[in-house]
Amino acid sequence: MQDHPWLRKLVLYREAVLTEAGLAPAIPAERASVAAVISNPWLGTGPREDLSPAVSELAPRLAKLVTDRLLQALGGVERIEAFGKAALVGSAGEIEHGGALIHTPYFGNLVREFLGGESIICFADARTDAGQPLVVPLWHKSHAATRSHYQTVDVRIPDAPRADEIVVVAAASTGPRPHPRIGDRTTDPVITSQTLEGVLS
Amino acid sequence: MNIRKIVTVVEEIRSEGGREVWPPARVAVVAAVIDNPWAGQGFVPDLTAGIDANASDLGALLSPLVLEALKAPAEAYGKAAIVGLDGEIEHGSALIHTLKFGDHFRKAANATTLLPAVEKRGPTGVAFDIPLKHITDASIRSHHQTVEVRVADAPHPGEIVVALAAAAQGRPQQRLAPLSTEQ
Repeated sequence: MQDHPWLRKLVLYREAVLTEAGLAPAIPAERASVAAVISNPWLGTGPREDLSPAVSELAPRLAKLVTDRLLQALGGVERIEAFGKAALVGSAGEIEHGGALIHTPYFGNLVREFLGGESIICFADARTDAGQPLVVPLWHKSHAATRSHYQTVDVRIPDAPRADEIVVVAAASTGPRPHPRIGDRTTDPVITSQTLEGVLS
Repeated sequence: MNIRKIVTVVEEIRSEGGREVWPPARVAVVAAVIDNPWAGQGFVPDLTAGIDANASDLGALLSPLVLEALKAPAEAYGKAAIVGLDGEIEHGSALIHTLKFGDHFRKAANATTLLPAVEKRGPTGVAFDIPLKHITDASIRSHHQTVEVRVADAPHPGEIVVALAAAAQGRPQQRLAPLSTEQ
C-alpha cells in the first residue's frame, strides 16, 4: 500500500572515495544523499498562506523517510560523522516552501536526532528547473567547527523538481575530506589585518 | 587498476503518471571511476593487454555491488563506459564490450542476453543515459527503459567511468502491447 501519496520518487546517491590525487585516504569516507521528490503542498496558495499545518504534518514524515535510507546506505548512526540538508523547489513554488520543509524543528530536530548529532545542520536551497544540480554542504554533526569535515555532495535528479514539486534532501558523510590538511581552530595562528600587514601592503 | 571512487545510485519510484507504483519500482546503478589504462600512450593499435588487465576485474567488482544495491532480483540490465576527453571512445568500448566484462553480470543475475550499452566521451560531470533491457529476452518491450546518471567530478580527461545498471522490473505503468502482437 502507498504510505506516502505525495511522494513521487526517492533517489539515493552514495560515493566511496578509494583514491584522491593518486593516494588512498588515511580515513576513507563514504558520502551519501537521499532525495525525496514530493508534490508541493502549497501550490496555488499566496505569500500570506500559513505554512505551519502542512509543515507539522509532512516534515516529520519526510525526516523519517530520508534519514532511514541514509542510515541504511551508510551503515548506521555510529558511522555518520557529518550531515547536511537541502531543498530544491520547482518554479511554481516559493523558496519559502522549501525552507518550510527543512528549516523547522519538524524536520531539522528529527534529522539531527535520527543521525545522532548536536550541531545546527548546514543547508542549501534553490528554486530550479528539473535536472539542475545543487551542491549540498556538510559539516560535523556534533562539532560544526571541525574543519576536516567541511565537505559537499552534489545532488541532481534528472526529472525533478517539476514546477509543482519540491525535492527534500538529507545528506551525510562517514568521515572527513580525503586528505584534510588545512589545520583547525586549535592550530590556527592569530590572524588579523595587523598580523598580515606585510602580505596586505 | 586505479579506482578513484565508486558511486551508487538507487531510484525508487512511488508514483508515475499521477498513479501509485506499488511495489515501488527500483533501478540501481554502480559506477567505478578509473584511470584510463591507455592514457598518455598515444594511439595504441592493440588494446588486448589493457582489456586483459582490467575488464574482468571491473565486471567482477561491479556485478555484486549493483545487485546488492538493487536489493531484488534483476529483471533488466545495462552497462556504460564514459570516457574522459583525452581518451578514445574505443577505450571505453574495450573495457565493457568483451565477454570478460559482461559474463560476471550475466552469471550473477542469471541472465542470458547481451547487455545494452552506452559508450560516449564527455567532460567531467557529463550526464549519461544507460539503456536497460530484459535479462533473458531482449525483445520484451515492457522492460526497455533507461536510467540517467551523472558523477559531478568525473570523468577527468584521463579517466573512464564504467557502470552497470539493473532494474527489478519493467517501466512503471508499462502498458504497451508485446512485440508478438505486431508479428
